[in-house]
Amino acid sequence: MKKILVIDDEENIRFLYKEELEELGYQVTVAATAEEAMGKIQADKPDIITLDIKMPGMDGIEFMRKLKEEKSDIPVILCSAYGRYKQDFRVWASDAYVVKSADLSELKLTIKEILGEGGPSDPHTQ
Amino acid sequence: MKDSKQGLEIFQDITRIANSTLDLDETLEKIIEVIQNNLHIHACAIYITDDSKEFFSLRAAIGLPSDTAQSIQLGIGKGITGWVAEHNKTLALSDAHNDPRFVYFPEIEEEKFKSMLSVPIMVEELCIGVINIHNEEQRMYSDLEILIMETIASQVSGCIRNAMLFNKSQMLLKEQTILYDISQAVQTSTKLEHGLWIILSGITMGEAGGFNRAMVFIINENTNTLRGFMGLGPDSSEDAFRIWTQWGRKKKNMLEWVVNEADKNEYKNSAFNQFVQSMNFPIQPGENILVETVLQKNSFNVTDADKHPLVSNDFIQSLQTNAFATVPLIAHKEVLGVILVDNRYNNKPISDEQLRLLTRFATHASWVIENSRLFTKLLETNRELLSTREQLIQSEKLAALGEISAEVTHEIKNPLVSIGGFARRLENRIKILASKYEDEKELENIADYSKIIRSEVDRMEKLLTNILEYSKAGILQRNPCDANELIEEAVYLFQSGFYMKDITVQFRLDKDIPHLSLDKTQFKQVLINLLYNAMESMHSGGNLTIATYPENYVGGQKVITLCIEDTGGGIPQDIYENIFNPFFTTKSTGTGLGLSISRKIIEMHGGTIQIENNMGRGVTVYIRLPLQISPD
Repeated sequence: MKKILVIDDEENIRFLYKEELEELGYQVTVAATAEEAMGKIQADKPDIITLDIKMPGMDGIEFMRKLKEEKSDIPVILCSAYGRYKQDFRVWASDAYVVKSADLSELKLTIKEILGEGGPSDPHTQ
Repeated sequence: MKDSKQGLEIFQDITRIANSTLDLDETLEKIIEVIQNNLHIHACAIYITDDSKEFFSLRAAIGLPSDTAQSIQLGIGKGITGWVAEHNKTLALSDAHNDPRFVYFPEIEEEKFKSMLSVPIMVEELCIGVINIHNEEQRMYSDLEILIMETIASQVSGCIRNAMLFNKSQMLLKEQTILYDISQAVQTSTKLEHGLWIILSGITMGEAGGFNRAMVFIINENTNTLRGFMGLGPDSSEDAFRIWTQWGRKKKNMLEWVVNEADKNEYKNSAFNQFVQSMNFPIQPGENILVETVLQKNSFNVTDADKHPLVSNDFIQSLQTNAFATVPLIAHKEVLGVILVDNRYNNKPISDEQLRLLTRFATHASWVIENSRLFTKLLETNRELLSTREQLIQSEKLAALGEISAEVTHEIKNPLVSIGGFARRLENRIKILASKYEDEKELENIADYSKIIRSEVDRMEKLLTNILEYSKAGILQRNPCDANELIEEAVYLFQSGFYMKDITVQFRLDKDIPHLSLDKTQFKQVLINLLYNAMESMHSGGNLTIATYPENYVGGQKVITLCIEDTGGGIPQDIYENIFNPFFTTKSTGTGLGLSISRKIIEMHGGTIQIENNMGRGVTVYIRLPLQISPD
């Protein structure tokens, strides 16, 4: 079972993602802050991370930079409420960029693609 | 006449009289009185030439019929007096009636007088008058009497000369006063019509220019024509006279009064003014004398228009005058128009004196026109500056609004995602539940409620996206334009600022760069932002270099580069890192959006902006605009 780490400061969003993704058969853990997420990565070793950009404390982009510094191979999907970070070169390091929406189909599709389900196995998956 | 002692007493009296007053008539009357008291005579008369030097007029007399004497005029060369004036010689005749040179003048009742002594009054070589004494009986005039009369004549000559000089200086003084008054009056208004009306009034008023009619023509640079602007003439000559007399009386608040009079704009309705305004001539050689005045920058005094090579019959017909003068209006060596004057109604020839005065009025008129031109230009520049500033503030406000709306949108978006997301879940779950229960219909209704929540949230999400897209895009109105021209226009707005801060501007503009598709207003804003920053950095002088050139940029992309280099010492590192951040500013009056907006505008044009900071030297800004901008 693939493991997903959802990082978002909004409790309801975390809850929504967890419910929806678990329904698809993923194992979902959640973190409310970037700092909390660091610990979860060590403990849970997720296959993929969904990451909110705008968060109190360390923001998503800073978190991603830290992650890359530690030479992590875990793919990251950036989730933001709006698309303006799309032009920011600092988000290029992410594997995908999804604009948040009540309709989660884009997010689900992106996860599926990155995890290579139904396709050839992904080298990042552990 | 008893002895030479008495002669000396006469001279003493005469000298005293001559020195006592500058009033010529009073002097002459007293001199005649002395002559009558000391010499045995029956009449004495002093004649003085008029301006034309063709006639003598009786100026003072005793023993002549007083009612007719005032109007006596003697022609030079005519009669005894005329002969004396012509030959500059004294003539003593004991029997004047029988002298061949004698002409009988009934006005003087000459039949009463048998003897006469006629002495010329000389100024240098010129005879300016004659002094005559008459006796009823036939008698000889002694050498002493002749000597006394000749000496008196030379005294009188001095008096006349003094009086003439005094009159002339009085006239000049008056002229100066008038010119001064007019220049003062002209300065009370920036309106071109006012200024020129006051000057034309001066030209036509009796005591000043004294012309019958005056008209002013102004060059229109756009159409290259000479257009009639204003005419002050016959149907307002009474006005002019009235104004002038009132002007003289109302010395105290004259300025106020003249300005009020100018305000009334009464001249506008005169037929003459409308006639002048209907005239418009192309400025080309051979057109007419007005145009020639412009082209040759010369005055013309046309005394016989019929025979003048530059004056056509049509022109004479339309002006209905055969003599007139034109004078060009020149300021800063540039011809601005022409004034034309004539004496259509009294046909008086235009004297050199009048022309000289006209030239001085023309100088005033030139400055009035030039001032009005400068003032208009100033107003236009000011208006442009204000509107640019308005636009700048407007776009900064819009940008600030954009920033705020982005924040707000973000805050709304997250709860919306939750609401919509859970509404979807609710809808799906109820559908599943409904299939398991008997009362399927009732649950399906609940699913419909959930569906409504979902679709409404979708609608709101779309709305938010639209708002974001709008505030992000801005709308460019692009047109092909000359970047160099925009630069020069923007620099022009800072002219006085640069001057005051002692900043020298050097252009290195490549005039051959192709036109770019730019939003003029927005691009100009960028330039204004950058020039303003540069100016502020060089508060104690410096050099500003502005260059344009084509360049091959990264990846062989062809760009036009605009480079603005200042010597303002550069930006401190901590500030430099923040210069593109919205709301960051070091100025107490700024919003801090200047550079971030500039970058946004340049990026919307598909270009880049780069700031090179050389600490201790200055800042160089490079704006690179792609040569071929894709139509997006």
